[in-house]
Amino acid sequence: MPTETNTRLFEVTTKDLDGLPDARGESVRSMLKADHGIDVLSVRVILGYQVKSDISDEEAESLIYDLFADPVIEVGSMGSRMLDDFPNPPEAAIQVGFKPGVTDNSGQAGLDGLTTLFPNQTSAMVATFATYAFWESEDSISPDDLAAILHNPMIERAAVAGRDDCAKRAWPLLEFPEMPPAIFQEPATVDLEVSDEELIEISEKGLLALNLDEMRAIQAHYRDPLVRSVRKETGLPPDRPTDAELECLAQTWSEHCSHKIFAARIRHTDKVTGEDSTIDSLFKTHIMQPTLDIQADVDWLLSIFHDNSGVISWNDDWSVCIKAETHNSPSALDPYGGAITGIVGVNRDILGTGLGARPIANTDVFCFGPPDYSGDIPPGLFHPSRVFRGVHSGVRSGGNESGIPTVNGAIVFDERYIGKPLVFCGTVGLMPRLLSDGRESHVKTPHPGDIVYMVGGRVGSDGIHGATFSSLELTEESPSSAVQIGDPITQKKMLDMILEARDAGLIQVITDNGAGGLSSSVGEMAELTGGAELDLGAVPLKQAGLSSWEILVSESQERMTVGVNPVDCADFEALAALHEVEATAVGSFTDSGAFVVRHGETPVANLTIDFLFDGCPQLVLESEWQPPVHLPVETPDLDEFGMGDILGRLLSRPNVASKEWWVRSYDHEVIAQSVIKPFVGANHDAPGDAAVIAPLQGGTQGLVVSNGIAPRYSDIDAYAMAAASVDEALRNAVCVGVDLDLISGLDNFCWPDPIESSKTPDGKYKLAQLVRANRALDDVCRAYRLPCISGKDSMKNDAMLGGEKISVPPTLLFSLLGNHHDVRKAVSSDFKKPGDVIFLVGQTHQELGASELSYMLRDEGAGGIGGAVPEIDPERNMSAYRALSAAMRDELVASAHDCSDGGLAVALAECCFGSDSGAKVDITPMWSDCEHLDVWGALFGESLGRILVSTRPEDRQSFEKSMEGVVCHHIGDVLEGDKISFSRDEHVILSASMQVLRDSWKGTLHGGGV
Amino acid sequence: MEPRVAVLSGFGINCETETMAVFEMAGASAERVHVNRLVNEEARLSDYQIMAIPGGFSFGDHLGSGRLLGNRLRFGLREQVREFVTSGKPVIGICNGFQVLVKMGLLPGDDEVSLTQTASLALNDSGHYENRWATLEFDPESPCIWTEGLDRIRVPVRHGEGKFVTDDATLMDKWADSGQLVARYVDPATTYPSAGDEPLPYPISPNQSWRNVAGVCDPSGLVFGLMPHPEANHSTWLGATWTREDLVHGEGEGMGIFHNAVRNVLQA
Repeated sequence: MPTETNTRLFEVTTKDLDGLPDARGESVRSMLKADHGIDVLSVRVILGYQVKSDISDEEAESLIYDLFADPVIEVGSMGSRMLDDFPNPPEAAIQVGFKPGVTDNSGQAGLDGLTTLFPNQTSAMVATFATYAFWESEDSISPDDLAAILHNPMIERAAVAGRDDCAKRAWPLLEFPEMPPAIFQEPATVDLEVSDEELIEISEKGLLALNLDEMRAIQAHYRDPLVRSVRKETGLPPDRPTDAELECLAQTWSEHCSHKIFAARIRHTDKVTGEDSTIDSLFKTHIMQPTLDIQADVDWLLSIFHDNSGVISWNDDWSVCIKAETHNSPSALDPYGGAITGIVGVNRDILGTGLGARPIANTDVFCFGPPDYSGDIPPGLFHPSRVFRGVHSGVRSGGNESGIPTVNGAIVFDERYIGKPLVFCGTVGLMPRLLSDGRESHVKTPHPGDIVYMVGGRVGSDGIHGATFSSLELTEESPSSAVQIGDPITQKKMLDMILEARDAGLIQVITDNGAGGLSSSVGEMAELTGGAELDLGAVPLKQAGLSSWEILVSESQERMTVGVNPVDCADFEALAALHEVEATAVGSFTDSGAFVVRHGETPVANLTIDFLFDGCPQLVLESEWQPPVHLPVETPDLDEFGMGDILGRLLSRPNVASKEWWVRSYDHEVIAQSVIKPFVGANHDAPGDAAVIAPLQGGTQGLVVSNGIAPRYSDIDAYAMAAASVDEALRNAVCVGVDLDLISGLDNFCWPDPIESSKTPDGKYKLAQLVRANRALDDVCRAYRLPCISGKDSMKNDAMLGGEKISVPPTLLFSLLGNHHDVRKAVSSDFKKPGDVIFLVGQTHQELGASELSYMLRDEGAGGIGGAVPEIDPERNMSAYRALSAAMRDELVASAHDCSDGGLAVALAECCFGSDSGAKVDITPMWSDCEHLDVWGALFGESLGRILVSTRPEDRQSFEKSMEGVVCHHIGDVLEGDKISFSRDEHVILSASMQVLRDSWKGTLHGGGV
Repeated sequence: MEPRVAVLSGFGINCETETMAVFEMAGASAERVHVNRLVNEEARLSDYQIMAIPGGFSFGDHLGSGRLLGNRLRFGLREQVREFVTSGKPVIGICNGFQVLVKMGLLPGDDEVSLTQTASLALNDSGHYENRWATLEFDPESPCIWTEGLDRIRVPVRHGEGKFVTDDATLMDKWADSGQLVARYVDPATTYPSAGDEPLPYPISPNQSWRNVAGVCDPSGLVFGLMPHPEANHSTWLGATWTREDLVHGEGEGMGIFHNAVRNVLQA
């Protein structure tokens, strides 16, 4: 017999057993020490579950050990407080739980578990909490300080009991996080027959992020007599947009979705050369055109620029695709939620490519403020170490729980990323070339009449205005609704189901619901058939009462939009039911020429496809290049040991230091395909270059995935920055043996706002940096025959906080996806055996400007970063890469490692880490590349196109022969023992102990605990 | 006749692709079977000769790894699973699949197949998830059919909750005596055999499991579960240090386990 609904509190903690620590508490303790320098003797974590249901007391009792507590290793309770059970009350107790409406994945899982036991409890609710109890913390640390560390007020609540409360056993207790129903607002209309000032006000107040030209274009549209007559017929106000229409236009036209800066007409002037020219779209000129030119010569570029990711043919049976996205603004506000949403979001881009691709590998590249930053943090921002930990944790959960290995990545540190961290999440996908019904899987095949399904999660008030919000700078008022927490399990179930549906031929068209929600996903696909009808009343909601425009633009996660032929709908729905995935018909595709939205019987929007996708006026911008002035690099005079010390300090710089503690907690081997892993070498702790995967189990054809990122060089010239990024990605790929005839790239630009305004007085300079970076991308990709098959830009990476503007350094992440003919011939970066012979491939020049060394010396108080930046000679590099690749195919190469941050000296040390060896090199031959080289430039300069190679002594001659015609200096040998030394003309210029170097390299970025 | 393997899927299981692949490589015919297809009887376990529960993050590991999927099997498939095990068919659970088998009480298990949980897999002492390679040694005296004739293999571990424990210390002796503590972490620098009870230092033992246990079998030796991933070392080029080794490329060290099960079915 059902009893009345009540709320019960269940608590769980680790059982007291010898040899079983409370590892959750220990993790908190070591995090407090590592990130905050706080010493606490002991921390205990109690997990709490509040269950709102109408089950009986007896049934509830069974939940303690059948559901919440593990009967072997945990103790559970119901109704009482576990804090009462400790003989010594803690000194502080803090309970943390989510705010109402925030995704609670554990709570959702708990509810699923509850319905496994009591299937009729579908309307029950479960909320989770964690209670932290502290003993013997430093006196200077208040419970409120601890609470501030343990929760993010943007998404969580905390209840705190201090020493006095704890002594009285007055424990903290949070209320059940009940989401009040939303207040339904009748569809409204917006009068645009107003002054320009008022148009801007409408845009700003509504967080629409539309400029005056765009508002005027919308105004003009609603003055068109033809438009007015159509609207009259459909029952919409003829002369003005509805709120939903304006929102839909704002989403579609947002910088985030339509890349207005890359599409702009730019007048570019160069103060050095006197150039004064006009560029009609950086994207079309410098990214699309080179790729189209390459496409004319090759047959493997299957689908570029128009889908959620670019697709290339890998072999006769399989094609592959790649995409990377950034999730910067949400990660600044809630590092965990922002990052997990970023990674599962880009997975959906892959799932939404063609008729659906399977995500098989993730890449993660982060840019943070320095983890040891000791300056003031502007209000509203987190310390970089907390951003780092949260983002890492989010990406770890998102990737691991989705069963997608994280195969490659990078972490870059610079103080200017304190304002906005950059969180690049990339995914590689795999799909069969042909489906069993004969369709090519990279081609979408929608028809008018196909039914539009929304699949996966439900729509809530979370994630409203993400696209437009990310097109604005970050301020203290940034809305918490723009933050979400991804739910990898809901998505994983959906992913399994979608891929089965694809293979069964049930999908005609598919895309993900990301920025702009249904307005973008249905709108974009409507462009393919020439129209769509959508009924918002059919859309399943997380909470009742959402207004029409909110349902239309909400970016609630874990949703795909799928077009299904009416004859397949029953099968599609049955498959969804099997996988316990919600799939709801919400509309249909048409060829009416319009995107028509209603909410039940109420008309909500009617936008012509032409206006929606082509109506946004082109921006007209100006850029002006004037090279910046920096103090030159100043290098001291040091003996060999002093130089060894410099190398040790470079290795301990966060940009160079080992990221092992962090990277190990990503699953990089699920799918059983990982050939060259993030860690290589005898002790599995040396850095790998590119990843090599063999995604067809048992097959020996592989894929190479690598990244290049070099934002430092933007401080002198963004051309050099972009060139260095592309070269680094390719260099890394060459190191493992990529097939140079099948390589493709992906450009992700993250820029500060480059539009001149009162807030951005240096906009012309920042835009000139963008122009130069694009020109480098064009030049280098053409020379490398490296087509960009997809890309993304994020153009507002500024934070305005407390009146202070912090802009990120202009950053290009270049990701590369290439073929590998035979993974059994892949090469790793670690030296293999003492006695092996060491070569440096590529030329070295005196190029210390903006090098990692220059920043270190400047940070230590000497000089600046000014000087020559690495200049690229892509043809010369490519000849060397081709020669080296041929040597690898002949199995003449024992190891290959790229020279990047910290130059040759760092590269040599890293190769030795992998072999537990030393090395002795004589770098005299480098002076044949460049007469005015100095030892600093030789050891620590970051000239492009260079790879440090070793061969077995017996292969030396064949290797040298194979490298004829390209610069390849024999510089030394791998040695047994602990010593690494560099000499010039018989004179030792640097020597160091490998153990000392290893300790420096490993000591900086340790995350605490073991 | 190729043995048919039911490789369970759904709810966040995510190693089904490679688990199917290794059984195919070992000469079996593997099918991905969504748990709900067994629950709603679209498919029947009795039609298969081997059952595998692959690794993954079923239900996101919320409420304890393997717990919620274990409950789905314990409450939704109780009789099918018992019938499968008592009819002498091999079962393997890898990583999350092992956690599922332990939480549903099939491992270390008992002669009656009572499905009573007696052990658990607690959070690693490090408190977090890790992906690193470990060396396993198998008990030559064990009745486990999956590890017969194998001495050591190198395999990746990829888990946050892999510390094998129980709340009744006498059970550890009992399981040791009956050869059920079949797979242990060992120091690769030692020579075979060297498995011992004293916990090895981190990271040789990645999780500080009691008695270095990495995997256990049931009293019959047919049901086997382990935290590390033998299916992730199906080919030599997936090894952690293969680029440093002189080797002839071919099957990886993890394959022996799957060959054993297929052979067992063919010989039955």
